[in-house]
Amino acid sequence: MKNIEFVISVVLTVGTAFVIAIWVPTPDHDPMKKVQLTIAYGMLVLLFLFGFMVLAAIASGKIDISGLLSETDKKASMSRFQLLIFTFVVAISLFLIVTCKCEFPKVPTEVLMLLGISATTYGVSKGIQVAAADQEKSATPTATK
Amino acid sequence: MLSPFILAKWEGLLLLGGFFGIVIWKLADGSIGLERLFEGDVKDSDPRNTRGYAKYVSAGRIQTFWVTVLVAAYYLWQVVQNPTEFPTIPGGVIAALAGSHALYLGGKAQAMFLGRLRDLRK
Repeated sequence: MKNIEFVISVVLTVGTAFVIAIWVPTPDHDPMKKVQLTIAYGMLVLLFLFGFMVLAAIASGKIDISGLLSETDKKASMSRFQLLIFTFVVAISLFLIVTCKCEFPKVPTEVLMLLGISATTYGVSKGIQVAAADQEKSATPTATK
Repeated sequence: MLSPFILAKWEGLLLLGGFFGIVIWKLADGSIGLERLFEGDVKDSDPRNTRGYAKYVSAGRIQTFWVTVLVAAYYLWQVVQNPTEFPTIPGGVIAALAGSHALYLGGKAQAMFLGRLRDLRK
């Protein structure tokens, strides 16, 4: 079997959901609440196992992220670096706010602007590189003639 | 038994922390390369240079790096101080960030399309 981790995750999720459905008590023995709890715990276990699979694959090198900040010539890219920093900062902020407030917060335009500036810089930077490479390619035959 | 919310909180902490930890660990041991982060390519008119571009240390990249790190640290500090809502960022900070990135992109475009400024004056 090619993806044994995936099968194990699904089997564990079904097992957890089954255990919860049988043993976990609900305050007023409401069957609907029991179904809700079963689905909630099952999804949490499934998400965790999927996330853990990806993390384990990254840590072991099965998913290669060595080129996360590099260009094709192995040179680190500033636009990739700043995009990574802002992605981390916004992810940490969102996590902190959700755990403290117990609800999904309203995302202000400033956050979108931060990520927008960052992503636009990355896009424009790639555009400049491609355009410069094209210009160089089109200039080379004329220079060699 | 843990409530689903508490479980989700710990799960998020483990996955997010694990991901950041792995990226930082790989940055520290060199698996994710940061080589030549401050170096850019500049158009080289020297006919001996077959590649057409030369390497140079870019002031635009250095200032973008510091502005990015400072704005990110400022933002994170604001969230840690009051983790109940996304903080409002002053317009000046956004303008500084946008200006810094525009300077970096302008410098990159000038270096890649036109070459060094001193060569333009010749």
